[in-house]
Amino acid sequence: MSIKTLEKVRKRLEERPEELKRAREDGRKVVGWVGYNVPEEIIHALGFIPVRIAVGGDDRLVEVGARYASSKTCVFIREIVGAFAENQDPFIQQTDFLAFDATCLQNYRAAEVIEYFFKKDVVVLGVPRNFDWDEAKQYFAHEANEFTRLLEERAEAPLDASRLAESVALYNDIRKTLKSIYVFQAAKDNVISWEEVYDLIQAGELLDKQEYLSLLQQTLAELQELQQNPVIEGDDGNSRLFISGSLIPRGDRKLIGIIKSVGGRIVGDDLWSGILPHLDLDIKEISPAGVALAYLNRTPHAALPYLDLASDKRLKKLHELLSESKAQGVIYHTLRYCDPFTFKAKETKNVLAKSGIPLLEIHTEYAGSDYEAMKTRVEAFVEMIKIKSEITEEEGVLADA
Amino acid sequence: MVTISRFSYPEEIKDKFVATPGLKFKDGSTVSSAEIWEFMTKEAPLRFPYAFDAGANNIGRFSDDVHFLSGIKRGYLTLTLKDRVMKQHAAGTPTVLVQGGQAMDAYYAAGGIPVRPGLVMQWARNMEEGLSLRQSETLGLNILESGRRKISIDACNQIAAHAAIDNKVVPIDLIAPFLCLRCSDMSFLVETHRNRVHDIPRYMVDYPVDHENKPWAAEYIAAELRELIDKIAKLSGRKITDEVLFNEIKLENRGRRLATEIADLWWEAENPPTNSTDFFGIAFLANDFVGDPVASVDLLEQSKKEIEERIKNNVKGFGVPDHAKRLFICGSCVGPNAHHAQTAGAIFVGRDDSWSCISVPVEEEGDPYLNIAKSMLAYPYEQRTEKRAEWTAEMVKRSRADGVIFMYQWGCNYQSGVARMISDIVKERAGVVTTFVEVGELGRSEATEQSTNRVEAFIEMV
Repeated sequence: MSIKTLEKVRKRLEERPEELKRAREDGRKVVGWVGYNVPEEIIHALGFIPVRIAVGGDDRLVEVGARYASSKTCVFIREIVGAFAENQDPFIQQTDFLAFDATCLQNYRAAEVIEYFFKKDVVVLGVPRNFDWDEAKQYFAHEANEFTRLLEERAEAPLDASRLAESVALYNDIRKTLKSIYVFQAAKDNVISWEEVYDLIQAGELLDKQEYLSLLQQTLAELQELQQNPVIEGDDGNSRLFISGSLIPRGDRKLIGIIKSVGGRIVGDDLWSGILPHLDLDIKEISPAGVALAYLNRTPHAALPYLDLASDKRLKKLHELLSESKAQGVIYHTLRYCDPFTFKAKETKNVLAKSGIPLLEIHTEYAGSDYEAMKTRVEAFVEMIKIKSEITEEEGVLADA
Repeated sequence: MVTISRFSYPEEIKDKFVATPGLKFKDGSTVSSAEIWEFMTKEAPLRFPYAFDAGANNIGRFSDDVHFLSGIKRGYLTLTLKDRVMKQHAAGTPTVLVQGGQAMDAYYAAGGIPVRPGLVMQWARNMEEGLSLRQSETLGLNILESGRRKISIDACNQIAAHAAIDNKVVPIDLIAPFLCLRCSDMSFLVETHRNRVHDIPRYMVDYPVDHENKPWAAEYIAAELRELIDKIAKLSGRKITDEVLFNEIKLENRGRRLATEIADLWWEAENPPTNSTDFFGIAFLANDFVGDPVASVDLLEQSKKEIEERIKNNVKGFGVPDHAKRLFICGSCVGPNAHHAQTAGAIFVGRDDSWSCISVPVEEEGDPYLNIAKSMLAYPYEQRTEKRAEWTAEMVKRSRADGVIFMYQWGCNYQSGVARMISDIVKERAGVVTTFVEVGELGRSEATEQSTNRVEAFIEMV
């Protein structure tokens, strides 16, 4: 069963670079953003076209990037730098300037390297590490205002409050619709897969926002027609897996492909390239600081350290999403030199073990050389979950007897 | 059978040495030069034999320049760190894990002893006495590997210090570093302590990036410093007033000024008056103060007098090669082996790490918290990379360096990420050759050939 709108989305993505080119010829500016707390609504409200620069999976570009940013930089950042070095990516080619945030300081370093070596105009948004402090929020509010000022300079126009309100409403609708769609992929007898929803989420990083909302609404309508009452059940005969950890951007489908190939079913994620950034974003005040603070108040990115395990919002959210998706195991994906997630792998494993949820860490790069090794490990994990599920079922039967 | 050559101070310099002033400490105690001599020639070689290993691969080897008497006293401060810290800790002084290359005014003023990861590991290795260099390194590596097993192979060497704390090798009362652009691993390693049994209190002083012309960045740091000082003061029992803070700032400013004055004298001298080891030791004295700012400043004053005397008499430091190639060192936490470099014909004339912090005094009037915050934000090393590189190029010119080596540690993301950019900019602005080298020896004196060869080849090229 296929969702017709998804085909339309794929087609529109192919057409998008040319569309951006034409928009630029008509005087519009394209802003490439990189990060986790970039308040996209502000970019949109100023009349810019925002596109998220997030590419992965190409070890050749990683190698190119390493020439500028060293082999000790995280794989994703190296590929981004490599992509700017080569300037072959059709979306990167269309960017007029870039907006980076400093959530992950490797991102910040990438901004510096790209600005210096490839002469790109870059605007940086500072992000506080003590993010839950009042003083840190004050700092971030100042940063958001400064970020807006720098964008206004480039827009040659001030930010209009009513335009910002319209952008916030549009983005809120996108987030709301995405959340509704997301439920369908985890449901029993699902008519859309997690992989399809993941691609759909990432399409939104590039497409026109108004059109994207319309495509999402069409997708949702199709889903509702095909499956009126999606019900998420834990024991549906699949190995229900949840993906966590370092981002998996466009172009990188190695791990996802492996999971599918060995019979695992992904039913949820808390990836920053997936559903997570769209959750819990509650904009209370229509202003640059109001929008930015709503971003900061979401589940924090792992690059923002948090010193108390018991009240860690990231782990709480992980538990909540695991419960909602009724996942039976977590595949924790860590990219080489992605310290924010890698350093927390064992801790996350121990925390989840207390809830009886197994975790498999896959530490990888974009090279294909570890494909078989990864496949063996994932296959064994999927098998283990199946056996565990069967044993639980048998025990249930015996207990009932 | 392996023969280990031992370093020792010759008896013929004893009289000259004991005639020099001793050292004063912050608790009001003093140590005479005769006592220092006894320690460095009798007690220390027995307790810490590794430190007296004269092997060329011993990167922590003492200076060969035994006539530079302040250098012997610096060795004394280094080797007595353990005794001094343990004694003060037993008397209730809190020990605090901090970030390297940052000012320590706030920590000392609040009544704590700040120890950066490098000092924690030195302290940890010294907890077991009588070890040869190899045994001491093995001890350090075991600690490091225990940390890696718990956290990640991607971590830099600093993980050893965190493991030493976790494993209770050394008593640390508070983990409270400044986060800054120099170090990618510190914040995430501090975070890992949250799942440990020990439950040592933790705190981080966040450091905003891209902070030029942003007064709110200094205000944010100042608020964090108030909290930091309050936390340390609660442990130390010290009452903190602005006066207490300014007294510490004035003392440490004196140290910073002495170090920069020494550097200026050293750079202008016809012949380098000390070798690389002694010159770099000055920067460390004025940066982390080896557990006692009063003693460190006292020693800096003595060092300055000695260096002035040497320059007056056109004395070249022992070990400095004739027509030495002058190298400026960049990067973090690691540096090339000074003995190897000298053998290959080079001398180190400066370093961006440590010197960056020393080059910025803290204002001595007004709001001390805001003043410290502003000075932190002014460290050249923590600026946007292009601005940092411009400062480095200026330092390269002032120090009359012939070449620049940018070194970074395995697993160091933030420094490695800009190694090429800084090297390229410095090459262009200062007109000298540059190279960058990754160091993967992880605290061993074995298998150093890769980095040694690259450094020697670079010197040869220069």
